[in-house]
Amino acid sequence: MKHESLGSAEREERHRALFTLSGVKKAFGSNLVLDGIDFELQPGEIHALVGENGAGKSTCLGLLYGLHQPTGGKLERNGDVVRIESPSHAQELGIGCVFQELSLAGGLSVAENIFAGRAPSRFGVVDWPELRRRAEALLAEFDLSINVSQPVDSLPISTRQIVEIVKAISMDSQVLLLDEPTSALTPDEVEALFKVLRKLTAKGIGIVYVSHHMTEIFTIADRISVLRDGKKISTTQTSQTSQAQVVSEMIGGAHPGDVERSDDQLGDVVLKVEHLSNDDHFHDVSFDVSAGEILGVAGLLGSRRSEIMRSLVGLMHGFSGAVYLHGESTGFRSLRDAMQAGIGYVPEERKTEGLFLEDTLYNNLAAASLDKHTRFGLVRRRSVISACESAIKAFRVKTTGPEEIIGALSGGNQQKIMLAKWLERAPALLIIEEPTKGVDVGAKFQIHTELQRRAADGMAIIVVSSDFPELVSLSTRILVVHEGRVMGNIAARDATEDSLLQMAAGLSAPARPSNEIPQEGMAP
Amino acid sequence: MSMAIDSDKAVSKNPMQRILKAFIDIRELTLLFMIAVIIIVMANLNPYFLSVSNFRALSVGMAPTAIIVIGMAILLASGGFDLSVGSVMALSSTVVAMMMLAGYSIPISVACSLVLGAAVGFSNGMLITGLGINPLIATLGTMSIARGIALVLTEGFSLSSLPKEFGWIGKASLGGFPVLVLLTLSLILIFDLAVRHTRFFRQVYFIGANEKAAMLSGIHVGRVRIIAYVLTGVLAALAGVLLASRLMSGTPTAGNGIELQVLAAAVIGGASLRGGEGTILGAFLGVVFVALINNSMTMLAVSIYWQMIVIGAVLVSAVALDMLIRGRRG
Repeated sequence: MKHESLGSAEREERHRALFTLSGVKKAFGSNLVLDGIDFELQPGEIHALVGENGAGKSTCLGLLYGLHQPTGGKLERNGDVVRIESPSHAQELGIGCVFQELSLAGGLSVAENIFAGRAPSRFGVVDWPELRRRAEALLAEFDLSINVSQPVDSLPISTRQIVEIVKAISMDSQVLLLDEPTSALTPDEVEALFKVLRKLTAKGIGIVYVSHHMTEIFTIADRISVLRDGKKISTTQTSQTSQAQVVSEMIGGAHPGDVERSDDQLGDVVLKVEHLSNDDHFHDVSFDVSAGEILGVAGLLGSRRSEIMRSLVGLMHGFSGAVYLHGESTGFRSLRDAMQAGIGYVPEERKTEGLFLEDTLYNNLAAASLDKHTRFGLVRRRSVISACESAIKAFRVKTTGPEEIIGALSGGNQQKIMLAKWLERAPALLIIEEPTKGVDVGAKFQIHTELQRRAADGMAIIVVSSDFPELVSLSTRILVVHEGRVMGNIAARDATEDSLLQMAAGLSAPARPSNEIPQEGMAP
Repeated sequence: MSMAIDSDKAVSKNPMQRILKAFIDIRELTLLFMIAVIIIVMANLNPYFLSVSNFRALSVGMAPTAIIVIGMAILLASGGFDLSVGSVMALSSTVVAMMMLAGYSIPISVACSLVLGAAVGFSNGMLITGLGINPLIATLGTMSIARGIALVLTEGFSLSSLPKEFGWIGKASLGGFPVLVLLTLSLILIFDLAVRHTRFFRQVYFIGANEKAAMLSGIHVGRVRIIAYVLTGVLAALAGVLLASRLMSGTPTAGNGIELQVLAAAVIGGASLRGGEGTILGAFLGVVFVALINNSMTMLAVSIYWQMIVIGAVLVSAVALDMLIRGRRG
């Protein structure tokens, strides 16, 4: 551990630092988000910044990238006190940033996006061949050979994330801020990213690495700083700490551990899907889910797991096969139909598909269940607010109250409200995609607990996730899909992360479809 | 690890399909084709259609719209738009006339009305980026104010008996082509190239496609937006001056409703109210297309009321068709 006793060696080090935060405070209104943060970045170092959502990591990055200005303390760059006014000012100071939320312009080409606003030009006229050449050279570091003239829209998410990273690298920054850079990457791509990061640090570039993935952090980081509730808890050499230690510092002592799985008797079959096929996406998908059951759906990118779910809830059309809800044949023409039949669907993209970011918590909560709170055609605000207050309590949402604008909450807390919004409707079947994507350990625990409580109360739940350990600990059964085909339908207690990965990658033979052996996985 | 994204599935298709795809993808080609169809059909229906005098009337008539559509297309690409262009056009045409009647020289009068256009554009830009007022509301307000000022200044009357030399640009020809038309075409060409190839105007597309991303990329979003509104104001004022020169009068009621025609033409030409799309050439071809349809219907003695119905139907079907094609392509 490093403590701030300013010996001469320390002072020397401080002078050499790429930047230093000393006693930095940041308040939004009366809400103190950062409370006296000390943090520094040395040349050639990868310094991980970890903490639960809402701990202040994003705000820290925001301060360094000129999105916010500190309300107290000082920020030094190469030993000079600076005030970073805007992202363009940060770039001038040699600070580049990769955001968790993609910041690309979809319709424009890959090359233009990489050099957004900084395209090589002569007399203001863009030099297109040079632009493409430079973009290709940068992408080559990732062994990625794509046509840099194609629009970013046409790329898969993981490639877009690489483009985003390349964009930050292209700025020739001495400081690189990475906010969850691997959230959409495959293990191979993560490996390639780490290789590039090591090359950059060898050149003396310093990197601040924000992530929830402990394994990644312990692979790549030189030092780890833990934030909790706006305060810095510790800064440690990676070699001198452990994952358990860091996690317990993040959540303040108690380790939540694994959620207890309830193996109660299952109820009736709620949803039964037989031979569902769609020429373009998936083939002969059959499974069922019963009341009280959590069915995990495991699949990698391109497994078409979302397409299958979207077809079930009326968002995608043009498939053959049969869908039975409570034993009756159905086929929903729209999500509204599906909702009225008692199905809830929580989409993957929280910000674009799930929430009204500029609206209050209580309005977001009530958006899918207005009829419940309406009397004589009027929405009863008090009933909505009290529902919101109980959701805040149940999920331990970190907020100032139902009136707060949801966009101001951290990702994990937004996710909780989004889930609560659908639970409000008390659907017979809840389909939820990536329930804990980009969510910290604490929020993950609460979300899992709530889902299991609802299942115990008799709700049928389908959880689609690429977080396989999550599926193993949360589900009763797991359906594995690969390129639109069911590869297996196994009891979660028999599944391991490895066996799921093998199947999801299409490496092991398809198991017998579940409807030939109904509920067998559940027999004692 | 090596990945090759199948960047262009068209490569595997045969040449015929590729040409067809490019045709649908590139709005300019689709429009050129439809313009050609109209010309061929009309040439057979009415021999007068192909005459020099018809084309001259047509091209001179659409010059103001074509100049204004440049600004509108840039604004649409940036995710904004401007309803005040018609009023600015009227205001500048009356101001240039009043100043000349008051004895100021032609260059001074013209310069002042262009500065006035820039000032209205600047106010639009400040209202929208500085105060965060929705572009629809902000420019609806300035539209009413600018028109009101033009009417107050002239008490509603047109101002005529302008100096003879002022009519030169509006009337003169160069090698058989009206100067007005040559000027318009050069502006279209210059701005089309600028928007495609200069660093400044490329920023406009980033802002339109994803404003937050543009800001995080270090683009001065507010500054670029304001410049786009100022440019639109200046172009609208220029259109007003040229109109005054051609008609030899300043008209406070000029350009009434032109803002919606310009918007429609730009959208037909491939721009989108969502921003991030469209080119100057496309928007210009949209203007030509609409003007040709109007002209054809006049030649075929279709009533003016029916023309409005047809233009509305063309606008909606152009956008609907585009969405259907794109939707299917996924």
